[in-house]
Amino acid sequence: MKLHRPTRRTFLKTGTAAATLMGFGPALLRQAAAQEADLAPYKSAKIDWQQATGETITVAVIPASYFENLITLAPQFKTLTGIDVRFEKIPPAQIRQKSVIDLTSKTGTYATHAADPMYYALYAANKWVEPLDTYLKDPKLTDPAWFNFDDIIPAWRSADSVGGKLYGVPYDGEVTIQVYRKDLYDAKGLKPANTLEAYMANAAALNSPNDRVWGAALRGVAGAGQNMYIYPSIFREFGGEWLKGGKLTVNGPEAEAALAWYIDLMRKYAPTAAANWNWPDIADAFSQGTVASYIDAHSSASVVNNPEKSKVIGKVAYARWPKGPSGKRVTSIWNWGFPINSALPEKRKKATWLFIQWAASAETQARTAHRFAGPAKRSGVNRSSIWRDPEYVKLMNGFGDNFVEATMEALQSDTDVDWRPRVPQWPAIGDTMATAIQSALSGQATIKVALDDAQRRIEPMMRG
Amino acid sequence: MSARRVRMFALIAISLVFLLAWAFPIVWSVLNSLKTDPDVLAYPPKLIFSPTLDAYRDVLFGSGSILPNLVSSIVISVGTTIVTMLMAIPAAYALARLRFRGKKFAGFYVLATQMLPPVGIIIPYFLVLRNIGWIDTYQGIILIYLSFSLPFAIWLLVSYFEDIPFEMEEAAYLDGASRLRTLRRIIIPQVRGGIAVTVVFVFLNAWNEFLFAVVLSGNTVRPVTVAMFNFVSVEQTLWAKLAAVSVLAMLPVVALGVVAQKHIVKGLTVGAVKGGGRR
Repeated sequence: MKLHRPTRRTFLKTGTAAATLMGFGPALLRQAAAQEADLAPYKSAKIDWQQATGETITVAVIPASYFENLITLAPQFKTLTGIDVRFEKIPPAQIRQKSVIDLTSKTGTYATHAADPMYYALYAANKWVEPLDTYLKDPKLTDPAWFNFDDIIPAWRSADSVGGKLYGVPYDGEVTIQVYRKDLYDAKGLKPANTLEAYMANAAALNSPNDRVWGAALRGVAGAGQNMYIYPSIFREFGGEWLKGGKLTVNGPEAEAALAWYIDLMRKYAPTAAANWNWPDIADAFSQGTVASYIDAHSSASVVNNPEKSKVIGKVAYARWPKGPSGKRVTSIWNWGFPINSALPEKRKKATWLFIQWAASAETQARTAHRFAGPAKRSGVNRSSIWRDPEYVKLMNGFGDNFVEATMEALQSDTDVDWRPRVPQWPAIGDTMATAIQSALSGQATIKVALDDAQRRIEPMMRG
Repeated sequence: MSARRVRMFALIAISLVFLLAWAFPIVWSVLNSLKTDPDVLAYPPKLIFSPTLDAYRDVLFGSGSILPNLVSSIVISVGTTIVTMLMAIPAAYALARLRFRGKKFAGFYVLATQMLPPVGIIIPYFLVLRNIGWIDTYQGIILIYLSFSLPFAIWLLVSYFEDIPFEMEEAAYLDGASRLRTLRRIIIPQVRGGIAVTVVFVFLNAWNEFLFAVVLSGNTVRPVTVAMFNFVSVEQTLWAKLAAVSVLAMLPVVALGVVAQKHIVKGLTVGAVKGGGRR
């Protein structure tokens, strides 16, 4: 499941979080008017933006500030292309369901939607979405020099590809990193962990439930996007491989060691309730000062730096994932990308591509991030060049020590596109694994039994 | 005496435990809806705090107002209830009174439509509505809601109609009343209680429905059950606002419940003693 985005502090100070998340009211309309609307940067692309004029497309997104910013700019896209975009906001848990129903029934309701990268294997296997290379390489549709596709964070691009073919273009993304309390670490002379072993030792050193401070917390609640968002990184760091000789394998010694580490940390050094926590609960606890460290999305920085709620502002710092016994660091990565629905008529496919190209372009990314006129700034911009832009870096470094460095290193060196098994059966496999992890964590099953059982359930899925 | 007392206290204690367990989430929601987000997160939980209506003001009049969603919910629930009752009353009467071929089968069929798990029929419903252009419309959602509210209402009402002594009807016929007139003037007033109970349950089911609503609704028609989810955002959970919306969404149901309470209690005891509901 996708996480929240950092936003500038003033955003939360004004108390308009809900306004920005939920709606698109008068305040945002005023911002839209204040937003730079010069279309010249787009018109320098050597394509005919008006080639699909008159089309209307519906785009499903989740309610989140980074999409709200994009929606605010939609009138500019209409002026540029003559294409009407109708946005529909669907909560993250339901957007997968609704888009799969739409794709499987070939009704073409959503021209594109904010897609879960783990679903591309399923989409591609059923030819529900278009391979995008043809659109990228068509000089009538894309100006390669202007769009500069290679500038988009490579890890997210490969996450949106299946078998080397691109099916979605990343719009906004994230990566998991260590978030820790610098003041508590300094007081005990601790350094952010470089290995999983050290992470456990740090958690042990800081764990003091009587003072209401726990050593660490990881996502505990069961779900393909919850505990199965964090566990796969640990599994891969312990040397686990999802595909052993072409066979999907979730059990075995590496898996057992990885799950044992996770359960050990959770049982000994996390609040008991963390077994049912998702990332917002972890971030809330951390911001109340009760958790000394967690590993989760870089974008959670905005919550733990929210001046309205957080008691730990100025005490937060960041580091990459600790290394596992295999010597590797493996982050969990995520992005919301845009695919093209295959059920659309040709002209509407082109209109959709023009929308995707506009949304993913460096210009729109900047206009929805540090150059956005409203209060919410994005921390998940898709462009390497923006992550090097001093103005943007300055804004992001407001979240605490080492934020941009840890995020960039994680995105460049610590990602492994196969950190979760990217197969069409993923939705079912993710759920099965999530349940197995939770049953082991709660003590309903031993680690080995839970994993072997998951393996037994998953094998028929892979045959089917 | 003392044994009876002990038993009495035990019963009261047990009832209190259940009452607490039942009331806690509601009380907690109401409390949280009056707090600021930092107060919601405070530990130990604050029982004394300066209450604020900020959350209510935001969810009602802020830019992400849920008023349109409340309107959607009311239109859907009221519409579903009216259409359901208009169709269920004659149908239930027919099943209870008339003799016709295939009556048993018809009765079973009405029930059988309820046996399909809803998840299994969402996609067909989606496709049908999509083909007739009724996705994201009131008529579309009400039509689908009828598919579960109608069988439920018919089955509930049949038992009420069956309880009415046939002699009452006969008396009306002897006085020269037609069947329809008898239904309107004699039978329906007799099953008022049953109708009230059915109305409440049909309304409640439509009001709280989520599964179909999330798939079949869109930007135009979006009931409050679906809209509420947006407060559990990917960015953060807005606890105070979520609690405020929950409380607001509870209000119409509570109001209806209070109005119909007398009838509901009667309805639940119907069948305990044959005919007891109406005497």
